[in-house]
Amino acid sequence: MRFRLRPAILLGVVLAGVAEVALPLSRGLASGLREGETSSATVRREGGAVFLSPAQGARRYHEFYFTRAAYSSSARSRFGFFGGRGAASWAIDYPKADRQFMVVLNRLIDIDASPYENAIRLDDPDVRRFPFLYALEVGGMTLTDGEVQGLKNYLAAGGFLVIDDFWGLDEWSVFERQIGRVLPGRPIYEIPTTHPVFNNVYDVANVIQVPNVRRGQMHGLYGTPTHEGRGSEMPHVYGIDDDRGELMVLINWNTDLGDAWEWAENPYYPLKFSTYAFEMGINMIVYAMSH
Amino acid sequence: MESIFEFLFKYRPVLFQEGDIALRNPWPTLVLVVGGLTAAAIVVLGYLQPRGRATVFDRVVMTALRTGALTVAMFCLLQPTLVLRSVVPQRNFVGVLIDDSKSMSLSRRGGEQGSAFVTERLSADGGLVEELSERFTIRMFSFSSTAGRVDDPATLTFAGTRTDLAGALDHVREDLSAVPLSGIVVVTDGADNGGRVLSESLVPLQAASIPVFTVGLGDEALVPDVQLDRVQVPASVLLGSAVMVDVVVAQRGYEGRSVTLEVEDDGRILARQDVELGKDGEPVVARVRFTADRVGPRRISFRIPISEGERVVGNNRRQITMEVRRTREKILYFEGEPRFEVKFLRRAVQADDNVQVVVLQRTAPDKFLRLDVDDADELAGGFPRSREELFRYRGLIIGSVEAGFFTHDQLTMIQDFVSQRGGGLLTLGGRNAFAEGGYVGTPVADVLPIVMDKSDDGPSPRAIALSVAPTPAGTFHPATQLAGSEESLEQVWERLPPVTTLNNVTAVKPGATALLTGRSTGEPATEHVVLAWQRFGRGKAFSLPIQDSWLWQMHADVPLEDQSHERFWQQLLRGLVDGVPDPVAVTLDRERSDPGEVVRVTALVHDSTYIELNDASVVAKLISPVGEERQMPLQWTVEEDGSYAGSFVPAQEGTWQVAVTAVRDGAEIGADNGWLRVEPGDDEFFDAGRHSALLERLAEATGGRAYTSDNVGDLPEDLQFTGGGVTMIEERDLWDMPVLFFLMVGLIGGEWAFRRQRGLV
Repeated sequence: MRFRLRPAILLGVVLAGVAEVALPLSRGLASGLREGETSSATVRREGGAVFLSPAQGARRYHEFYFTRAAYSSSARSRFGFFGGRGAASWAIDYPKADRQFMVVLNRLIDIDASPYENAIRLDDPDVRRFPFLYALEVGGMTLTDGEVQGLKNYLAAGGFLVIDDFWGLDEWSVFERQIGRVLPGRPIYEIPTTHPVFNNVYDVANVIQVPNVRRGQMHGLYGTPTHEGRGSEMPHVYGIDDDRGELMVLINWNTDLGDAWEWAENPYYPLKFSTYAFEMGINMIVYAMSH
Repeated sequence: MESIFEFLFKYRPVLFQEGDIALRNPWPTLVLVVGGLTAAAIVVLGYLQPRGRATVFDRVVMTALRTGALTVAMFCLLQPTLVLRSVVPQRNFVGVLIDDSKSMSLSRRGGEQGSAFVTERLSADGGLVEELSERFTIRMFSFSSTAGRVDDPATLTFAGTRTDLAGALDHVREDLSAVPLSGIVVVTDGADNGGRVLSESLVPLQAASIPVFTVGLGDEALVPDVQLDRVQVPASVLLGSAVMVDVVVAQRGYEGRSVTLEVEDDGRILARQDVELGKDGEPVVARVRFTADRVGPRRISFRIPISEGERVVGNNRRQITMEVRRTREKILYFEGEPRFEVKFLRRAVQADDNVQVVVLQRTAPDKFLRLDVDDADELAGGFPRSREELFRYRGLIIGSVEAGFFTHDQLTMIQDFVSQRGGGLLTLGGRNAFAEGGYVGTPVADVLPIVMDKSDDGPSPRAIALSVAPTPAGTFHPATQLAGSEESLEQVWERLPPVTTLNNVTAVKPGATALLTGRSTGEPATEHVVLAWQRFGRGKAFSLPIQDSWLWQMHADVPLEDQSHERFWQQLLRGLVDGVPDPVAVTLDRERSDPGEVVRVTALVHDSTYIELNDASVVAKLISPVGEERQMPLQWTVEEDGSYAGSFVPAQEGTWQVAVTAVRDGAEIGADNGWLRVEPGDDEFFDAGRHSALLERLAEATGGRAYTSDNVGDLPEDLQFTGGGVTMIEERDLWDMPVLFFLMVGLIGGEWAFRRQRGLV
C-alpha cells in the first residue's frame, strides 16, 4: 500500500520538525569529525545499541541510526561559506541535514530512528554495527587501503551504501575508480523506476534533479537551471547488486538529496525538491532495512 | 521354606489359602462337653491340690502345660479337615499358551533356552503335560504376533517377530468359551511388545473367574549386553534439515566403556558419535545430529557395533522410517516497523528452497509493505482477518508490533493458529513486543513460552546487551546447532557478538524450555531468556526476545564466511514449521509390521479453517512395494470428530505407501501420505530378559500363580485346587499333621523337663 507524500503535509511536518534542530545547529553546536576521532556522537556500543552521551539527550537504543561514512578525500567543501567549517567533503551538510532528515523520518513513518547524526570512519570496525551508510561528495574521494577493505567487508557482510551529491563526469570518474577498488568488476546499472526502491513506501515515478540550496533558491525565484555545469544536466539513480542480485549500493548522481533535507525549512527552497528528497530518502532506508 | 511348611502341615500353603479348615466332630456334643470338662477337672484338681514341695508357681505351670497337651489331643479327636474345591478330573479344560517368538530361542545362562524348556517339558511325554493331562483336557496354543492352536509344541519354530500377549489371552478365552475352563497357563519370557493394553484383556478373564498361571522362562537380566533402548525421530522433516535424535543406550556388563553410535541411510553413514556408557543398568542418552539430505521415505538405521561376549546381538540396531519432504513451507512474518531483522532474516533464508518467508511490514499507520507474496491479493488487506487466510501459513512470526494493533478476534485467531491449526509461532523482541507491547493478559500471552514482565523504564525501555549461550537443553536443539566440524557448539556461541534486548524476559513458563540464555554484560550481571519454546495445543511457540540477531551476520567480529546467522535462522524456521499438520493428516498404528499383520490407518480431516469434518469422503490408496494399487475407503470413527479409520493386511514385504485423499462436495480438501515398512522385525531382541513383574501382576490380577522353570512342578496340583470350571468338594484330614504331634510331644516333654528342673520327679 503506497502513497504519495502531499507537499502541504510535508511542509507542516518539516517546519514543525526542523525548528527543533535548525536553531541550535546554526549556532554551531555540532562539529564535524576531526582526524583521530572515531565518531562524533558514539561513546559506547554494546550489542546493536549505541549508548550516546547523556549531554546530547540521546535515547539509549534505536533501531536505526542515520550513519554517515567518513572517508578520506582530496577536496574540501566547495561551499564553505554556508557551513563555514572547512570540513572534509564527507561532512558537507553535516549534521544539520542528518538531524533534519531524522526528524521528518520519525514523523512520517513508524520507525525508531535516532534523531542524532552518527558519523563513522570506513576503516572503523564499528561501521559494521550500522547496516545503512550514507556518503556524499564522493567526487573527491581518495580511499585509503584500510577504508577500501572496510567498505568491502561492510558490503559483503550485508551493509547498504547510499551515495549522494556528486556531479558531472569528472566526479563520476573519480567515484567510479574508487568504488572499482572496493567492488572490482561489479557492473553499475541504471535502476529503473519500477524497482522496489522507488515504490516500497512512496511511489516515485520520475527521478528529478535536486539542486543545492543556492541553485534551488535561484531556480525557485528565476527558473534558472538546477544542474551544475556540463555533464550534470540529467540526474540518474544507479545501482550495484550483490551476489544474490540484491541492490547494495545506490548512487544518486547529478542530484543533491542532502541539501534538500538540510534546507527543507528554507521558504525560498522549492518544496518539490524537498518532497522528492524525503520520499526517496525514506524509500532508500526502508529498502535497506527490508531487502 | 515352602517345603518345611509342607512337612509340618502336611500340605502346601496354597491349599490352605484356597481351602477352609473345618472340624468333622464325630462325637455328640454332650459327650464332648462332659468329657472335656472331666479331663479339665482331673487336671486342675490333680495339680492344684497342695502336695509335696511344689510351689504355687510350679503348679500353675504344670497345669498350663498339661491343659495344652489335653487341648491338642481334644483338637485331634474333633477330626479337623481341610475343605477344598477341587476340579473334577477330566471334566475341565486348560489352555496352555506357548510363546513362539524369537526371544524364546535366546541362550540363557548355563545354556538353557526357553525353547528347550518348551520342547522338553511341554511335549506329549514331557512331565508337566503328563501331570496336567491326568486332571485336565489340555488345549495348546502358540502365540507371537497372532495366536493359534498347536498340537505338538515340538513343532514350534520360535520365529515370531512380535509378542502380543494381550491378543493371545483374548484368543484363548474366546476359543475356549464354550467349555469349562479351569485356567490358562502362559509359558513365556514375558516380553510383551504387541502394543496393546494388557489390562484390557484381563477384565474379561476376571469377570469369568479364569485364573492365569504364568511360567516365566529365561534370565531376568542378560549380561553382558548393550541395547539401543529407544530412538525418537520426527515423522517428517524438510529436505536439508538438521535432525537431532535422542538415542537411549542401555547396557549391563560394559560399565565405563565407550561405544560408537552410527547413523546410516541406505548404506551411507550420516553421522557417527562416541557414547560413554554409564553404570550397569543405567541407560544413557546419546544425542546425534545428521542432515536429512535425500527426499522421500528414508529408512534410517541407528547401530552400535557388537561388543565381545554380548548375549543378545539383535538389539544393537534400530531402524526408523522418516519422510523427507521437498516442499516450500510458507511463513508469515508480520513486522510492525522497519527493522534490520527483516532484511537479515530474509537474507539468511534466501538460499533455503524449502522455506518461503512472506513479509508484511507496517511502515506507517495502515500502510504496509508486502514482500515475497504469491500474488497481488495476498495480504492486500494487511494482517489476515479470517482464519482461512491466516491458517494457510504454517508458521507465523510476530515482530515489534503492539497488541493494540490487533483486534481481539485476531489475537484469538493467533492463539487458534497454534492450538488448533498446529502452526508454529515465533515472537521476536522489540520496543512493541511482549509486555512492552501490551501483550500481558491477551490470548497470545497464553501461547508464549515466556513469563512477561514489563521493565520499569517507562516509555523508552532500557537496552541490555547480552552474551548468548545455549542451555543444556539448547545444546541439543536443532535450532541452536551452529557448530561446524572444527568447533564445539559452546565455542561458536562464545565468539558470536553480544546482542541486545529491550524486553525484560527472565523466566520461562512451567513446561516451557529455555534453549538460549543471555548474560548481561553490564553490572550487575543478570540472566535473560534469549530463545525458549513450548508446545501449545497441536502446535508450538518460540520466543526470541532480542531485536538484533543480525549482528551475528554483520558484526566485525564475525568472519565474512561465517554461516552462523544463516544456519540459526534456517534451522529455527525449519523447526517452526516441522511437523505442522495439513488439513488431512494420516497416521498408521505402526511404522513396521510383519507380513500378514493387521495395520490400522487413521486420518484426521479438517477444512481450511481447521474445523473437524465428519461428512467427508475419505479414501486411502494402498500402493504396494511393486506398485500395485488398491483403494480402501476410510469410515468416520464416531468416537472422535474428524477421525476416519480403516484397516488392511499387507502381504508383500517392502515399503507401502498409504495415500489418503479427502473430498467434500466434490472438492478435494487435502491429501497426505503414510509409510509402512513390511518386514520381519527385531522387536523380540529388545528387553529380552524375563519380565517377572509383569507375569506376577498378570497372575495376581486373575487369581492364578506365577512360576519359573524351577517350581513349575507345583502347577498341576495348584491348578487342581485354584482353577475354575466344574469342581467338587474334597476333604482332607488334618489331625495327623506332624505339627500337632510335635506340639503334643513338646508340651508333655516340657512338663517332664520342668519337673526335673524343679526337683519334683
